[in-house]
Amino acid sequence: MQHIRDGIMVVNTETIAGKIISQNLGVVGGSTVRAKHVGKDIGAFFKNIGGGELKAYTELLEESRTEAIARMVADASARGANAIVNVRFATSAVTAGASELFAYGTAVKVE
Amino acid sequence: MRSIDARVGTLTASVMMLVLLFSGAAMAAKAEGTPSEDPPLILLCCIGPFLLISLAIAAWGIFVAIFYPVFFLYGVIFSGRNLDKRMNEIVLRERASIEHFGKDPLSTLKGANIVGGVRESGLVYSSIVYSPSHWQLLIAWINQLFGGKIDVIHRVISVGRAEAMQRLREQAQAAGWEDVLNVRIDTAEMTPASKPKGPKAVEVFAYGTGVKYG
Repeated sequence: MQHIRDGIMVVNTETIAGKIISQNLGVVGGSTVRAKHVGKDIGAFFKNIGGGELKAYTELLEESRTEAIARMVADASARGANAIVNVRFATSAVTAGASELFAYGTAVKVE
Repeated sequence: MRSIDARVGTLTASVMMLVLLFSGAAMAAKAEGTPSEDPPLILLCCIGPFLLISLAIAAWGIFVAIFYPVFFLYGVIFSGRNLDKRMNEIVLRERASIEHFGKDPLSTLKGANIVGGVRESGLVYSSIVYSPSHWQLLIAWINQLFGGKIDVIHRVISVGRAEAMQRLREQAQAAGWEDVLNVRIDTAEMTPASKPKGPKAVEVFAYGTGVKYG
């Protein structure tokens, strides 16, 4: 199951419908900074001149998002949570060609 | 541009430094009896890498000078058309997924309106990095001298956003969700490595909570 990672449910609503939050375990987060290799950067440079989707960078953000979520889930499971609610994402352009992704939410115990 | 130059330069320099060091050591070991050959070798070791870096940068410059106009012209002719084509395609895909769900699955509601129970819920997300062509940026620059609406850029960003939302619908469909709640759409700047200070690409990121009723 894609949406249940390591036995932890991840949602971006404040509650999980049909479940009761019994314990709040605090804010958990995961972040990552990634970049693509020079070859992809050169490809994106030429693609950028013609306009359109920069597939290399879409891919890059997808990878970093998955990694950030995985780290957040690891953080939550270390606290003994079984769900993360109200997940939010923040992106920042730290430096050219790299992306910093931060995923955060509240680790809770649900019944 | 500059960062690519720097990376290529560093890479070439380090590789060539290693090669030169090895060959220098080999040659020195071979020609130990003749000390007169040493000075040119050291000189080569010192100047060689710099020469190679400048050669690499020059090669990249020539490469760009040849291909930039080609891609620019491609942008002039095709970027507007590609945008229209993509928009039409998105509309068709949107219609197909609305047919599949019976309604538009995306909503910004938080689930308080759900009458029956929810069996399962989980995160869905999708994203796209979209950039205007340099031709469109040129038009936008001319437009912004006069002020008012800048339709070119607006169209580019709407297509990016529509695509991200459509991908979210398709993700939800693939994962078997019946509805997507609390949808948020973030727009962030993604700076391509080639342009640390120049025009930027836009990253649109859409996410929400998929639910299954039961």
